[in-house]
Amino acid sequence: MESHSVPARVLVVGTGFIAAQHAAAIHAEPRLELAGVVDIDPGRAAAASRANGGVPWFTDLGAALAETGADGCVVCTPNDTHADIAVQVAAAGAHLLIEKPLATDVAGARRAVTAFARAGRVLMPAHSHRHYDYALAVREAIGSGDLGAVDLVRLSILGGWIWPDWRGWMLDPARSGGHALHNGVHLLDLVTWWTGDTPETVYARGRRRTAPELGIHDYLEMTVGFAGGAVAVCEMSRGHAPTSYARRDVLVTGTGGILTLPWDAEAGTVTDESGTALLPPGGTDGFATQIAAWADALTGAPPAVTGADGLLAVAMGVAAERSIADGRPVRVADVLEEAA
Amino acid sequence: MSGALRTLPWGSGGLGTQDHQRDMYLPAFRGHPGFTVVETAAGDLTTAIAETGAQVVSVCAPPEERAARIVEALRAGCHVLADKPLALDVADAERVAAVARETGLVCMPAHHHRFGAAVQAARGALAAGRIGLPWNVQADFLVDGGDPCPQGELVNFGLYPVDVVLALTGQAVERVHALPGRDPARSTLLLLDHEHGLTSTITVGRLHGTAAAPGMALHRYRVSGSGGVMDVDATRPGATVRTASGTRTAWHGPGTVGRMLTALHAAIVTGRPPEVGPGDALAALRVTDAATRSLTLGTPVSLDPSEV
Ligand SMILES: NC(=O)c1ccc[n+]([C@@H]2O[C@H](COP(=O)([O-])OP(=O)(O)OC[C@H]3O[C@@H](n4cnc5c(N)ncnc54)[C@H](O)[C@@H]3O)[C@@H](O)[C@H]2O)c1
Repeated sequence: MESHSVPARVLVVGTGFIAAQHAAAIHAEPRLELAGVVDIDPGRAAAASRANGGVPWFTDLGAALAETGADGCVVCTPNDTHADIAVQVAAAGAHLLIEKPLATDVAGARRAVTAFARAGRVLMPAHSHRHYDYALAVREAIGSGDLGAVDLVRLSILGGWIWPDWRGWMLDPARSGGHALHNGVHLLDLVTWWTGDTPETVYARGRRRTAPELGIHDYLEMTVGFAGGAVAVCEMSRGHAPTSYARRDVLVTGTGGILTLPWDAEAGTVTDESGTALLPPGGTDGFATQIAAWADALTGAPPAVTGADGLLAVAMGVAAERSIADGRPVRVADVLEEAA
Repeated sequence: MSGALRTLPWGSGGLGTQDHQRDMYLPAFRGHPGFTVVETAAGDLTTAIAETGAQVVSVCAPPEERAARIVEALRAGCHVLADKPLALDVADAERVAAVARETGLVCMPAHHHRFGAAVQAARGALAAGRIGLPWNVQADFLVDGGDPCPQGELVNFGLYPVDVVLALTGQAVERVHALPGRDPARSTLLLLDHEHGLTSTITVGRLHGTAAAPGMALHRYRVSGSGGVMDVDATRPGATVRTASGTRTAWHGPGTVGRMLTALHAAIVTGRPPEVGPGDALAALRVTDAATRSLTLGTPVSLDPSEV
């Protein structure tokens, strides 16, 4: 991938809800070219092909890799398939941008990291929030030193929108890894990246707000204690009322000051019969930034998010799920050691 | 003013350098039509009460002897406004509660933040079922600048947001987990489990001081309920005035201390139970005590159900 004149050829694997955003980002990135789409569901694979100018479609990843000779894959399949698919992509000598979580357990995440280290290929977990304007703004404010040493962090991403119905794999802890793995890793990764610190303990509390029969906790509160002295409270909710509720809120205090990023900081609001909501913030497309960072990594730049980052986020997610079950703080090092 | 309650300030002690008598209570008593401040040179409280004919004592005796002075004032037949903390340990707080019960006099711990207009409105709305059954509260009580309390800010003002959460929800705390901030004396994170599965999370801290100090950097409560969410900025109401010399908040109505005195006055003259009493001081003290234990142990601490 030395030359910019020859775009890297990329497969999108798993053509469900989030895949379209990745495909759009690939089309917009001159260093990448969509080589084909893969989905075990032939109808979806074919539809994705049609939506993307008739690129070749496949129901088998091995066949797709062999036939297209793709340089890289963007994987958007359900969480429980990630580790095996990652190992398969590494074995084929391709690079990988993989949706979060890197795996649903630490052993799987470790297998993926090891496979890519051996293959000498790029592994970048898609912790997409790192590429959003708000997250970059917080990171830059902390990095500027204006806030001094970070003390408390609050990151709350709250919604009332649960996945469509019981058939969604996101609701099945065996497939999603549980909500701490599914969505929690976004926040756990972000606060770790913001503070630049090593997470030591996770104390988490979970609720089943939408229905007592839920197998996952649709509301999560994950409190991270960092080795350097910072503490972070991460709230992830799909269980708020009303269902239209959508808020993101950030607070950072440090020895030098305080940063607040309230829910309405990013755009104007609109009030109508259904209440008050945020207008779309006209910021940067995070998926475009993410794919550009991956393209950078393919040409030798260090990846914006490393396999080790993805592994750590998985370990923190596992610690959170365990803490909810046990009602006590869980040491991240213990979780990492078990699966060593 | 005739008809106003004769009020004797007693003591100017507090945690660290603070003097709430001079800075908070006296100006509020002086500015309140329901009270008139009386003074004396007497060296002991019982004599001072006798000399002035005081009906109310504003007790800011040093924390070590505060409970004893409150009891002395009650025994002398006076109603009491007690600086916080009303007592340093649970045993003393229980003693005060027992004497207040026995005498039937008003003994109000100065938990003035629960009287804030925004908090009171939220409390009323919650009690009226506006957001259904509350299941979570997220609170921040972050003071901007000022002198750090030598005993630590958890002991100093940790009880304020705990008291507000209890006032808002009415759900007793059953379990406490606490995490230290970067400087454990300056900031603490409280994670509380209440009755009925309610959880609350409270940051308590003192910032080193920004250009806007001193003041409240953040004082807010987000309450999530089965039917909706309430965001309560406890620093409101207030107009923001930005000028060449800086930014300040302006408001016409009484502040939290003035509103507390109105509640004190109402309880005394009507004989109705006061909105906050020694039991509330005890409840908050049990939480901050448990938090201190949790900080030492690194694990959650259960409160004895018999105490709740
Ligand atoms: N970064 C974000 O903001 C974000 C948002 C949503 C989802 N995600 C992640 O993206 C991934 C996909 O989520 P989604 O919501 O698009 O799910 P989805 O169910 O809509 O799509 C998944 C697709 O993968 C296909 N699939 C299943 N197993 C496969 C396999 N072994 N090989 C090939 N295809 C397979 C399914 O048929 C389906 O079409 C998940 O890992 C999820 O955590 C990330």
